Amino acid sequence: MEKIHKPKKVFVQGPISPDFVSKSIASHQSKTTIGAHAIFLGQIRADQKDEGIVTGIEYSAYEEMAEKTFHAIREAAFAKFELTCLHIYHSLGIVPTGEISLFVFVSSPHRRAAFEASEFIVEEVKANVPIFGKELIGDKGEYVWKENG
Amino acid sequence: MSVHITYFGMLAEMAGQADEVWTMDEQLTVGKFRGLLLEKYPSMREKKFKIAVNQKISEDFVPIELAAEIAVLPPFAGG
Repeated sequence: MEKIHKPKKVFVQGPISPDFVSKSIASHQSKTTIGAHAIFLGQIRADQKDEGIVTGIEYSAYEEMAEKTFHAIREAAFAKFELTCLHIYHSLGIVPTGEISLFVFVSSPHRRAAFEASEFIVEEVKANVPIFGKELIGDKGEYVWKENG
Repeated sequence: MSVHITYFGMLAEMAGQADEVWTMDEQLTVGKFRGLLLEKYPSMREKKFKIAVNQKISEDFVPIELAAEIAVLPPFAGG
């Protein structure tokens, strides 16, 4: 029988803490069919722009569509790769430089599927989820709109 | 018919509002809507954007049904 995957909450307000990441790892120790986890963490870079140095990104989203798209990406990943578990978290609101805004956590019996699925998911999220970002610059409220290449 | 339009990111700044309702006599397609949008907000001509109808990115030939939810989406920046 095909497994049904319920839509999960993806968005978190502000940065994703290292503590949350470590708790997520710990909560999978009881799942002993897993032999490999792949974790991708997106961190905010202090890019140098013409306007100044980036101090953080303020994320917003078309949330209803984004949640649907995240769900479709999860379904596609489960169909494509041999996965036991899959979690995606993305920040909304302000995430300062050096902090985490994207956490993709993929678990599989074997490493190959985990590596490949994590790359697939990150690329899909960047290309297809309606999330928008202001790169905040300096301390006078300046910003430029970010655009994924 | 009337459609509900939501603007996101830099496009909300250009529109000067996050959402609005348009009431019109004629039947709309995405392409026709795009034309009307650029007429109303000429500065959007410079920008890349996608149009979602009822939360689905839609090509120009797609018809817009009564009371549709239209979203005007600037380039994505997730990750």
